[in-house]
Amino acid sequence: MFYREAGQFKTTYNADQAIFPISQDRWFVTAVVLFAFLGVPLLAGQYLFTEVLIPVLILAIAAIGLNILTGYCGQLSLGTGGFMAVGAYAAYNLALRLPELNIIVVFLLAGVMAMLVGLLFGLPSLRIKGFYLAVATLASQFFLEWAFARVKWFTNYAPSGSVAVGKIEFFGFPIETPMQKYLFVLTLVVVFALVAKNLVRSRIGRMWMATRDMDIAAEIIGIRPLTAKLSAFAISSFYIGVAGALWGFLRLGAWEPLAFDINRSFQVLFMIIIGGLGSILGSFLGAAFIVLTPIFLNQLPSWLGIPLSTAAISHIEFMVFGALIVFFLIIEPHGLARLWAIGKEKLRLWPFPY
Amino acid sequence: MLGPIIETFIGGLLTGILYSLVALGFVLIFKASGVFNFAQGAMVLFAALSLARLSEVMPLYIALPLTIAIMVALAYAIEFLVLRPLINQEGIILFMATLGVANFLDGFGQTVWGSDIYKIDLGMPKNPIFIFESVFPGGLLIDPSELIAAVICAVLVVVLAIFFQVTRVGRALRAVADDHQAAQSVGIPLNQIWLMVWAVAGIVALVAGMMWGAKLGVQFSLALVALKALPVLILGGFTSIPGAIIGGLIIGAGEKLAEVILGPVLIRAFDLAGGGIENWFAYVLALMFLLVRPQGLFGEKIIERV
Amino acid sequence: MTQLQQQTDFANRLTFHDSLQAAEVDFSRVTFSSKEQVDRIYDEIDQKLAATGQRWYFIVNYSDCVIEPEVWADFAARGKNSNINHSLGTVRIAASDKTRETIRERAKSDFFRSNIFDTREAAIAAVTNMRRHNEALKAHQQPGSGVNREAILRVDDVSLSFGGVHAIEGVSFQIERGEIFAIIGPNGAGKTSMLNVINGFYHPQRGTITFKGEKRVDMRPDLAAAQGIARTFQNVALFKGMSTLDNIMSGRVLKMKRGIFAQMLYWGPALREEIEHRKVVEDIIEFLEIQNIRKVPVGKLPYGLQKRVELGRALAMEPDLLLLDEPMAGMNMEEKEDMSRFILDVNNEFGTTIALIEHDMGVVMDISNFVVVLDHGVKISEGRPNEVQADPVVLRAYLGIAN
Repeated sequence: MFYREAGQFKTTYNADQAIFPISQDRWFVTAVVLFAFLGVPLLAGQYLFTEVLIPVLILAIAAIGLNILTGYCGQLSLGTGGFMAVGAYAAYNLALRLPELNIIVVFLLAGVMAMLVGLLFGLPSLRIKGFYLAVATLASQFFLEWAFARVKWFTNYAPSGSVAVGKIEFFGFPIETPMQKYLFVLTLVVVFALVAKNLVRSRIGRMWMATRDMDIAAEIIGIRPLTAKLSAFAISSFYIGVAGALWGFLRLGAWEPLAFDINRSFQVLFMIIIGGLGSILGSFLGAAFIVLTPIFLNQLPSWLGIPLSTAAISHIEFMVFGALIVFFLIIEPHGLARLWAIGKEKLRLWPFPY
Repeated sequence: MLGPIIETFIGGLLTGILYSLVALGFVLIFKASGVFNFAQGAMVLFAALSLARLSEVMPLYIALPLTIAIMVALAYAIEFLVLRPLINQEGIILFMATLGVANFLDGFGQTVWGSDIYKIDLGMPKNPIFIFESVFPGGLLIDPSELIAAVICAVLVVVLAIFFQVTRVGRALRAVADDHQAAQSVGIPLNQIWLMVWAVAGIVALVAGMMWGAKLGVQFSLALVALKALPVLILGGFTSIPGAIIGGLIIGAGEKLAEVILGPVLIRAFDLAGGGIENWFAYVLALMFLLVRPQGLFGEKIIERV
Repeated sequence: MTQLQQQTDFANRLTFHDSLQAAEVDFSRVTFSSKEQVDRIYDEIDQKLAATGQRWYFIVNYSDCVIEPEVWADFAARGKNSNINHSLGTVRIAASDKTRETIRERAKSDFFRSNIFDTREAAIAAVTNMRRHNEALKAHQQPGSGVNREAILRVDDVSLSFGGVHAIEGVSFQIERGEIFAIIGPNGAGKTSMLNVINGFYHPQRGTITFKGEKRVDMRPDLAAAQGIARTFQNVALFKGMSTLDNIMSGRVLKMKRGIFAQMLYWGPALREEIEHRKVVEDIIEFLEIQNIRKVPVGKLPYGLQKRVELGRALAMEPDLLLLDEPMAGMNMEEKEDMSRFILDVNNEFGTTIALIEHDMGVVMDISNFVVVLDHGVKISEGRPNEVQADPVVLRAYLGIAN
């Protein structure tokens, strides 16, 4: 009824190329963003900021990064945790050794560091594909994890092997309270998501998708595999590196390499599977789902009045997670984003059956 | 100096056999159904946990068949609940589904059986024996249980090889591996074959879990160690049974030797806080190998057609 | 009429017209009813033809000729044999409806043109036409005789093998600018491998490819694309996850120049470029008449439309040389006609040189200017379509007749 595109005629290619060609979508997204900036800070409490909103937003950046590589360019990677670690440790060392650098510059340079490492570990993708590549990316995961645990310089010779960051400020404004952190992350997320959306609907996005869908045909229309794959690795690792730096600085504050172990890689991978491969919106939906589900599962026994040990809860969490993944793949292999799209399609017709 | 290195080498080979066993499970399923079964490691843990806890309350000769029955039932469950609804999906979707299965099994196993460290006692001799005392000063230290593990593994491989070469099911399975549709068109029931393969992979997982559990105890880390089977697959090729065996031996021996020989060098050169090279050595070795020979040791070179 | 009468009678039924270079065979009112009879008549014809020591265009008169179904196979085999040994081309006149249908059926399965005309005049005109084509071709093959001819692509002595299997052996030919060039041959003849060599996907062990005057031994597909070679595939190779529009837009990848940062910003230069190319793509969409499937994911389209979208993607590259690998495989008659029209239009309107592989001989004869025939990786014949069609070596390759 309210979701109709009748009467909205596109008279220019310009209008047809817009991110949200339907005006209701444009209004809706604008409203959500405005609410996130103005409404949420008024309503949300500390717990919501630190345990839900900040993790969802940061992990959404990582998920967008992995989605660029896996969802758009078709290169399966299990090394996300390792690249996040590169971002986090690069940011730590930059902030430590060049304290005069603006924090945003630190984060971006951390992304650049992750990008360089990503390029290096992306090289095998030129020779191998699919599961072979997935195993090759495990090499980066385990090697990087090991390097940050063992090479003392990275942790500034901290005896415990864990690092902690000091006060963060942004052009003189402190970023300390959860709300300040939230707004800082939110701003970055909006910019990063917009840039990613622009990339995937431009020439380079079509190069990625062409390589994903049929690499041989892509070569034959003039796409060099080296350019397509390595650019995906580079940009993806940049996103993941920035996410890693944000995770370390704004979510954890102090961490050791275990924070970026293989389980982190799987966590982000699950986000894009459940959210939707090849969808920016899906990256957000997936991140929200993966962050919220364990919180919900943790609360559930106490709501129901069933006493359970933490260990039991964590095992059940594993089970439910696994089952949910299988369930989602069976219901809709293309994730929440596709379900959303189908829902919208239904809404366009509602209340008429056709 | 040579004595300890040979000891390390042999110890590595014996660890490698266990990698081989896990890899073998992967290969069986990949060959027959094209599914990259990430849950193989979880199956090893689940099988080992089941056996360890069951053998606490009943004698081993009852616990073992019971565990086999559990693994076959598990194969049924996976086939019916996961694979059948996802038939004709792309490889990556099936892979993700096995990730889900792996997660589920890890949680399920520990919820049902508990999450402490459990022992599996196979009644194997525990005292290390010394061999070649005349050749090396002090001789070589060998754990007899590992030797037995090696023998059991070899027997298993031979049995599997005979099974696939000689029996009717084996022939059908090889046909399915070659071409699903062609096999189906000559009347081979795909679902039954897949069920069979998952059941066999489950039993192979049980053998791996049993050996490993007897050696190191059964605990959650078993599922992670099983990740080591992945570089083994790269080395040996995804579809080659001999590849899985030899790849496992190379990885097992290689990483132990690297730890002993390369470790101290790296620690000195880069001022490291300890070794732990074996955490990544297998993967990096596999990666290097991939760049030289992408099809693996025993895989066939693929000619791309358009 | 007794068989003896027929035999003696038949002596006068083969006449040679030197001016036309034609041998006229008169089967009118003959009834073929036994293998012996077919053999006797053909033995006589073949003997006389052999005695002339030259090849002829055949004009066969079938008016009121009856061929009993049980001797059809023998009749066809002997006729084919005569064609292989003595013919430059065959035209038929005045066949009954039933015979006409049978000849057409056989023509389809044996890859020759049925060439059936109602009147003798029409048949003679067709023969004259064939001769003119063949002579023009001979003239064209004389060195230095061509007018303004320019090879866009030269293949020199190319050999390709996989392990021990020879896919292509010592093949040479050239494709001239602006022509429609066909590569034909039985299955497994190495046709697709040849296209793969031309666009750099396979690397020949021996020989060179010269494209637009630039000689190369090794090539990458993306560089070949940059030089102006586009391609469609035997099995549609579209990007399944993308819409028709995006698939065709992806053909513009090489033409778009804006850098990565402009694409990140999108609004501004990148968007202007995007729209500029969108206009070109919309022209192609209109040309191929696929406006209504613009936003549909290509995986959901029927096969014929997918082939059209694939052609669109190749056209978006604005290639100098367009390689089409069985553009009409698996299409029905109407779709084939549409596709033929598109190919001819592309050739006419944009002057694009086209090299195609096609199994439908009718299509090849209708639209191509020049044909190369491969068999078992070796070039066995080349020439104008009708010449190749009459070439005994080609017939042998297709029909598997031993020498």
